[in-house]
Amino acid sequence: MTRSAFSPTVRRPGRLNRSNQIAATWFLMPILAIFTILLLIPLGQSALWSFTELNLYTGEMTFVGVDNYVTVFTDPALLTGVWFTLGFAILNTVIVTVLAIPLAVVLNNAFFGRDFSRALLFFLGVPSLAILGLVWRYIFSPLDSGVINSVLNSVGLQSLPWLADADLARIAVVFVGIWAAVGWHITLYLAYLQAIPADLYEQATVDGASPRQQFFNVTLPQLIPAITVSTFLLITAGLRVYDLPFTLTGGGPGYATNTITQSIIERGVGQSDFGVGSALAVLFAIATLIVIVGQMRLSNSVARRYS
Amino acid sequence: MTVTETRAILVGPETPDARTGPSAQRRRARRLSIVRSISMLTIAIVAAIPLYYVVISAFKTDGDMRQSPLGLPNPITFDNIGAALAQGDIWMAFGNSTMITVGSIAVQLLVGSMAAYAMIIGSGRLTLLIGIVLAIAFAIPLQATLVPQYRLLAGVGLTDSILGVIVLYSSGAVFCYFLIVGYMRTLPVELIEAPRIDGAGPWRIYWTIILPLCRPILITVIVFQVMSIWNDFLIPKVYLSSPANETIILQVYNAVGQFTTNWPLFMATTVIALIPIFLFFVFAQKWIVGGLMAGSVKG
Repeated sequence: MTRSAFSPTVRRPGRLNRSNQIAATWFLMPILAIFTILLLIPLGQSALWSFTELNLYTGEMTFVGVDNYVTVFTDPALLTGVWFTLGFAILNTVIVTVLAIPLAVVLNNAFFGRDFSRALLFFLGVPSLAILGLVWRYIFSPLDSGVINSVLNSVGLQSLPWLADADLARIAVVFVGIWAAVGWHITLYLAYLQAIPADLYEQATVDGASPRQQFFNVTLPQLIPAITVSTFLLITAGLRVYDLPFTLTGGGPGYATNTITQSIIERGVGQSDFGVGSALAVLFAIATLIVIVGQMRLSNSVARRYS
Repeated sequence: MTVTETRAILVGPETPDARTGPSAQRRRARRLSIVRSISMLTIAIVAAIPLYYVVISAFKTDGDMRQSPLGLPNPITFDNIGAALAQGDIWMAFGNSTMITVGSIAVQLLVGSMAAYAMIIGSGRLTLLIGIVLAIAFAIPLQATLVPQYRLLAGVGLTDSILGVIVLYSSGAVFCYFLIVGYMRTLPVELIEAPRIDGAGPWRIYWTIILPLCRPILITVIVFQVMSIWNDFLIPKVYLSSPANETIILQVYNAVGQFTTNWPLFMATTVIALIPIFLFFVFAQKWIVGGLMAGSVKG
């Protein structure tokens, strides 16, 4: 006991430290094995295969240059998927953020039914998006028996061909995506709102700031870390979107709501078109990287301006 | 609602005004709180209509569901719930989902926390390098490795296999590592140094001292991973094809194809499928909210 009580907490080079290094190496083995087998090698293969074409009968791989990339940018199905994914990611991020911040600010006040509203909104995002997509598929059914159409009919309006029309189907997917995500992000903003020191508001009130000024000069700057996290989660999830459009519309009508992920699965796994699937995967990884770096830079510069 | 009222709902109580007395202020605050109650409850209830719709439809007959989609069941029927439960595979699907979720999270936590511990006891170039490597791994989207991963698992006969899915999910250890290492860094170094000088080996220190102290972050990680793995659709859809291996989410998805004419049965299956995640939500809500904060603050 005396020895440990007197032992310096500063790490000394020596026998103990070396044994620690050896132990550390062993403890890192599992994660390094998983990383190498499941991430690093497949990532390299994706990059390599994106320049090749596989002959399924002979198993031979031939180098085809950028042919697969040309296919991605000329095939209408794939191209529609790329655009829809980008549009979904942007709209979902912007609209959820614009809705979630004011709603969280209101829910941060005391009023009757607050906890109930919070819990209910939050729970909407808890079930699997795949199941929610299927439920909404029936609600949006283009038939007269669809929920929305029967409500429209009951107030004397015409039925709309919801999921059978390209634009309406896109709107439906974006709408359900927002509906499912907003509760989560309200909860995230609430967590940060509760951490804003109350004396900032007291000070602002003493200084005669109007509620509007308080919102823009106290609340919003204090929420910058929350906005950074929330928009990061939204945009990466938006780019990866697959289960919601797939279960709601199946990617249709035609390819109107096709996504990059759905294309990768259909081409790369379903049709064993490894070349095109891999080219999509590489472009997807690059797009994700650009978004992550860009978002980090943007939020850094915003944070600097406000501090 | 006036402009001032809308603004006031958004930004909180009005600033005290010289012209109004304290009682006028109180009245105003009370009116505001009533407006907030009405508007927020309306928003929340309207947003929850689809869930209400699923639940009521599960107890309706097919004709009733078509005729009055949003009305209460008339007559109320338990046939759909009975029929959904009578399908033997729904229990098998629950079992598969449970096996996959529990197995994957056990692997992720063990591997992730071991790596985090290594980063705490190790030092210098090794940990720096590994830290960078794992940060890159964290940024790689699943989609970027999907096709080669599929061929890899197909090559070793692990497609359409629950074990194969657990192997795939093990890459989630990288996410667990990031949450756990942030927490472990806050533990005092003496907790590792003291028992080591007393002769305890690294494995014993990790298993009996450090891991139990990390319980709060482990619970947070478990809560988040349960929701993401239980609810996942992509990997089960790509990898699990035979009915015996279906997860509950996949089962509900496949049910739609089978019951295009029987939507009440689909709604009943959905209700049953949602019960576990609903119970989990009720039980884990405080950890979810706490974890959103803890996870985000540490980056």
